[in-house]
Amino acid sequence: MEKQTINVPGAEGFAQPRTRRDFFKALAVAGVGAAAGTTLLTSEAFAQGGGDADIFNFALTLEYLERDFYQKALDAGVLSGAALGVVTNLRDHEQAHVDAITAALQGAGATPVANPGFTFPPESLASQAGVIELASVLEPTGVGAYLGAAPMIQSPDLLEAAGTIAGVEGDHVVAIKNLQGIVPPANVAFAQALTKDQVLAAIAPFMGMGGGSSGGGSSSGGGKAGSGGGQLPKSGGPGA
Amino acid sequence: MDVDTGRISPVEFDREHSRRSFLKTAAWATAALSAAGIGGFAASTRFASAQAGPNYPTYQGLGDAAIFGFALQLERLEGTFYARGVDAGLFSGPALAQIAAIRDHEMAHVDAIAGTLAAVGAPVPPPPDLTYPPGTFDSPGAFLQLAATFEPVGIGAYGGAAAALESKDLLAAALSIHNVECQHRVAINILNGVLPPNNLAFEPSLPFGAVAEAVAPFGVTAG
Repeated sequence: MEKQTINVPGAEGFAQPRTRRDFFKALAVAGVGAAAGTTLLTSEAFAQGGGDADIFNFALTLEYLERDFYQKALDAGVLSGAALGVVTNLRDHEQAHVDAITAALQGAGATPVANPGFTFPPESLASQAGVIELASVLEPTGVGAYLGAAPMIQSPDLLEAAGTIAGVEGDHVVAIKNLQGIVPPANVAFAQALTKDQVLAAIAPFMGMGGGSSGGGSSSGGGKAGSGGGQLPKSGGPGA
Repeated sequence: MDVDTGRISPVEFDREHSRRSFLKTAAWATAALSAAGIGGFAASTRFASAQAGPNYPTYQGLGDAAIFGFALQLERLEGTFYARGVDAGLFSGPALAQIAAIRDHEMAHVDAIAGTLAAVGAPVPPPPDLTYPPGTFDSPGAFLQLAATFEPVGIGAYGGAAAALESKDLLAAALSIHNVECQHRVAINILNGVLPPNNLAFEPSLPFGAVAEAVAPFGVTAG
């Protein structure tokens, strides 16, 4: 078949941050680069237009955040039964993502960012329900961040690799929904990309920017933003 | 049974008998899927192998329209499968709710992809003449076994094709659907009693040839 490029009317909603410039401008404004102790997310790097290394370093920071939370949740000793099994795998998977992204960055000659360290609301580690609740915020944020950033990844090799990770974050969403008793747990037809502001709003409370222990309230907004089902049919509807 | 538990839980059936029965009656399908390298792979190493030998180049010669046309057929294969599973009355309660939801998702993907192709004037392939292994809709066990085999095919196809798409809008749409297929895989794991259901650190992509080979016995052809 003849090669053909398709422009989907109205599909812009899938990836709100349309350009690297927008994506990293938001990061710079929010001070995430400084908070994460990275040189790759500085305004200078941003001024150069960013790049795959910047995207993967941002992803690495998100993976650190998730891995650290699940490790703390396991250390807290508040989990049992099915939840313990699920969260143990969550921790292991996020660690595997940290390792893979670190290796990918190093393989590309880039410097992986250091773990900035995170703070979590005490209530999120005080009970199994608290762990599950915060997990239900973090996982859709991870999905949304990968889906939002994917169109900006220039290397197809890295893009394919990012997809293998993004899918697992989707796996996690369903495992957590099942622990929450949501029936059915797989309940969206389209996974939603998050805007730059939504990702930042979701992770800022844990980045030491807003006074750690008070972060629980604002984190729930990110979760709601991530749990809604994007509706592709609207974009494809006119021709259906 | 699981109506009162407040969540979906493993569907009750004789798993060993079901497994043997499925492997016997659906040998043609599982052989094709197995030959395609689907199922039982060491997924935890796939990130590294994706770095060494990514699968997107196997989709690159097709073009965006053909890739989405093939995706449409895969969604029809899945959507019809779940619709027949619901109609066969194999499930009840929360399990039925999940199977019906997956059916609805796959049909939404069909509508979205067909609508997208039509909107840009690309050819919309006619529905394939689908066939499923004997016994597929006779028992929950056989059905769920095949479901557990289908989902990784769809995941692998989208995961492999995504980076070959030229349109960034289509890429975004493909990864959105890819993510939902991953979510389905875990939901099916739950119904199959896989613990914990989130059991992969990476969701493997598949080369085009493996996907095409896997779905050919069901009546789906590429291009």
